[in-house]
Amino acid sequence: MIAFFINGQPVQAEDNQTVMQAAKANGFFIPYFCWHPQLSVPGNCRICMVEVETEAEGGGWLDIACNMPVTKGMRVLTDSDKVRARRKETLQFITLNHPVDCGICDKAGECTLQDYHYEYNGAPSISRDAKVHATKHFPLSERIVLDNERCILCSRCVRFTREISKSHALGVQSRGDHSLIRPVEDGAFEADPYSDNVVDICPVGALLSRQFLHKARVWYLKPTPSVCPGCERGCNVNIWHRKSEWKLKALDAKQNARIDRVTPLENPAVNGPWICNKGRDLARILERARAEQAMQKGRPVELQAAIDSARALIGTARQPVALVSSWGSNEELAAFHAALGQRFACYVKPDWLPVPGERLEDDLLIRPDKNPNRAAAGALFPALPADVQSAFPPDTDLVLVWGEGFSFAQLPPTARIIYLNSYLQPENGHADVFLPISAQTERAGHYTNFQGVVSGFEACFAKKPGVADAQALFAAIAAPAGGSKP
Amino acid sequence: MTGRKLLMTFPVTATSHLLADYRARGGYATLEKVLRQMRPEEVTKEVTTSGILGHGGAGFPAGRKWGVIKLNDGQPHYLCANADEGEPGTFKDRWILENAPHLLLESMLITAYALQVRNAFVYIRGEFDLPYRRLAAAVEEAYAAGWFGERILGTIFSCDIVIYRGAGSYVCGEASALITSIEGKKGYPRNRPPRLTVRGLYQQPTVINNVETLANVTGIVAHGAEAFRKVGTAKSPGTQLVSISGHVQRPGVYEVEYGYPLAKFIYEDCGGVLGGGKLKCIVPGGISTKVLTAAEIEPLTYDHASLAGAGSGVGSGGMVVIAEGTCMVRLLQILLRFYHHESCGQCTPCREGMGWMHRIIDRIVAGEGRPEDIEQLIRISKANDGTTICGMGDAAGYATVGIIAKYRDEFEYFIEHKRSRLDGRLEVAIP
Repeated sequence: MIAFFINGQPVQAEDNQTVMQAAKANGFFIPYFCWHPQLSVPGNCRICMVEVETEAEGGGWLDIACNMPVTKGMRVLTDSDKVRARRKETLQFITLNHPVDCGICDKAGECTLQDYHYEYNGAPSISRDAKVHATKHFPLSERIVLDNERCILCSRCVRFTREISKSHALGVQSRGDHSLIRPVEDGAFEADPYSDNVVDICPVGALLSRQFLHKARVWYLKPTPSVCPGCERGCNVNIWHRKSEWKLKALDAKQNARIDRVTPLENPAVNGPWICNKGRDLARILERARAEQAMQKGRPVELQAAIDSARALIGTARQPVALVSSWGSNEELAAFHAALGQRFACYVKPDWLPVPGERLEDDLLIRPDKNPNRAAAGALFPALPADVQSAFPPDTDLVLVWGEGFSFAQLPPTARIIYLNSYLQPENGHADVFLPISAQTERAGHYTNFQGVVSGFEACFAKKPGVADAQALFAAIAAPAGGSKP
Repeated sequence: MTGRKLLMTFPVTATSHLLADYRARGGYATLEKVLRQMRPEEVTKEVTTSGILGHGGAGFPAGRKWGVIKLNDGQPHYLCANADEGEPGTFKDRWILENAPHLLLESMLITAYALQVRNAFVYIRGEFDLPYRRLAAAVEEAYAAGWFGERILGTIFSCDIVIYRGAGSYVCGEASALITSIEGKKGYPRNRPPRLTVRGLYQQPTVINNVETLANVTGIVAHGAEAFRKVGTAKSPGTQLVSISGHVQRPGVYEVEYGYPLAKFIYEDCGGVLGGGKLKCIVPGGISTKVLTAAEIEPLTYDHASLAGAGSGVGSGGMVVIAEGTCMVRLLQILLRFYHHESCGQCTPCREGMGWMHRIIDRIVAGEGRPEDIEQLIRISKANDGTTICGMGDAAGYATVGIIAKYRDEFEYFIEHKRSRLDGRLEVAIP
């Protein structure tokens, strides 16, 4: 440990720490654009200048904190007059060719440049000359557009593709104030499954997600912590949706209960500050057409009636088999285990299989099993054997299928089927009893990832009236006739 | 004559750059002596004692730079000759590369021996054609004669050399950008720390010296540090190759002993101003040093202390003579256009500041200047001072502040009257 001083207060730094890291660890804030805890230090934005006090005449010297090694007894000032004056000058430079079009910029509200401008400068530009113009909407890939005028050339995105995603897809073209971030080869950035992270780490609104482009102002949105169900990594994410106090009355009601975007929720034990593009596209998984109507053999019935029928079927079955979802939360799995675990011969089925063309596995985040909670389910129940038929004894008369991804054609033709699913699928109508259950965004729970790390998710939206919560449903369908209601 | 000579000691002929001529002048004898009789640390000690200052522009003592390299530390060390001579007005290294390439190669071998370098590099400016061909031919000759390669002269010392041609970037003359360029990356300077002598090329300890600095090594080792110290002044030992251009009667490369009277050099040795005109000012060492007016140079001698005392510097030895009648606003426009074009765009103050200053000066020259523009230029220059990764932002600021401080009235006149007081001339008519 090295003892030194920040703003006159004694602090401790670990060996080989920079002033920036030590200040952050000790709760002092030094502004930065280009520095990122997970990336190398380029020291190019020059906003993190701090003063090091010396005995010499003329006071301390200034240098960038992100590249300054801590030395014993050094006295660092993060907010002296000199530092403040320097930051003002640097912000003048950074905003010199920046269009300051916050009014139409998706980043407004969470933009580092905007924050620092109000915090450290506040003055209008002293330049009266025309700004340098550059490409406004350069398509970096199908997913990302680049506004070169807003870009402050911090090189975070370039370093991300070199150091984290290893696609080496981005580089800087030209030099001086005509420098442009560009893909190194056509299509290289397209193939990067982590490309959307550059939108998050962009300190300004230069890199924009096409999905989210002009969709919402971020201050109308609220993040709800959640877990990505895309694979067994279980990356922690924030699901952004409209704040309840900012509902849009004039628009379609669906706009008020939709996933506006998904961003990573930093968890060093699981995903660090990154997620893959599949996680960004959670809306494509979670916002498929929802099943909201309980059915018996395709005939709409009241939810309670369907529950009663299911309970009757379970009560009379002689050889029931259950296929347990690997998308159920720990709580739901425990509830199933307690209520029906003894009654059924249970197997865990994979709800999702890799889609053709999808990346199966890599060194960063993506895992081969595309189900979020196979670890917890597998701890309670055996896995469905590869030869599916062997799971069903010849006299199987009832099969409970929980979750999607299982073709009824594989079931014994004589068995009755109870089907629990959240989405509209052809199988729903073929089940003897179909019970709609809530999707991940409508309930809270926990997933256990392949490393055994448990991450929790919260409900973003209210559950639809005709839909049951699986956790309560299991007790209801297991109870003897006249028992508790869901 | 401009004092004693250390490098320009032979007449330049059609064959003087070839190995045979160089051998006839006693070439590679010093290397032989070093390899057979001296230990590496003795060579370093000799160079350190000589007190030779870097000739690339910063004037950092070469021996101190070498001293950082730890011998026998188990790491490969690299040596790189900086032949990316891009400072406007400077063409002195070109003389060495064209006329004494073997002197450079021998010096590099001696340096490589002293610093335990197995692989040496020459980063040569891409626009240098003849220098490149001469140097490449010299390397071929030296390899054929066994001065490079495995087990040179039967000793355990081996050394290989690679000539790397730049692609025309000014910033790549900065040592850290230079090695980044050799590594095959975009020529961006690196942040210090770590120093390049700790972690440089391929993350290994690297010594980068200017061609002229290296070229002096052979002489220092051959004749001893004491002999070298006898030339020049106490604080600036040795000589400097000065490339003089501009409005001067006899432009070219001169070897000037440190301590030589500056006015005498310009007026007598170089024949004074072109066409017998009056001297307005000089740029003493590449455009990144501050200009000195005709009155200011009178008492000065050509060495680091004297020029620094006048607020300027020896710099890269690229002297530009500017005659009376030259428009300083136009001159600054040309400088700023250059800096804007050459800013690498990595760090904020220089990337934005160079373009900003260029736009302001362009506007002034177009007759749309505003009175506050002068202060604006000074403000941008000061905001670049010491805030950038490499020295380029500082250099542009010094040049700008230097010119404005001494010729502010010309700028004010230009802004007020929307035209130059001196008809915007940069050329001087020869009567």
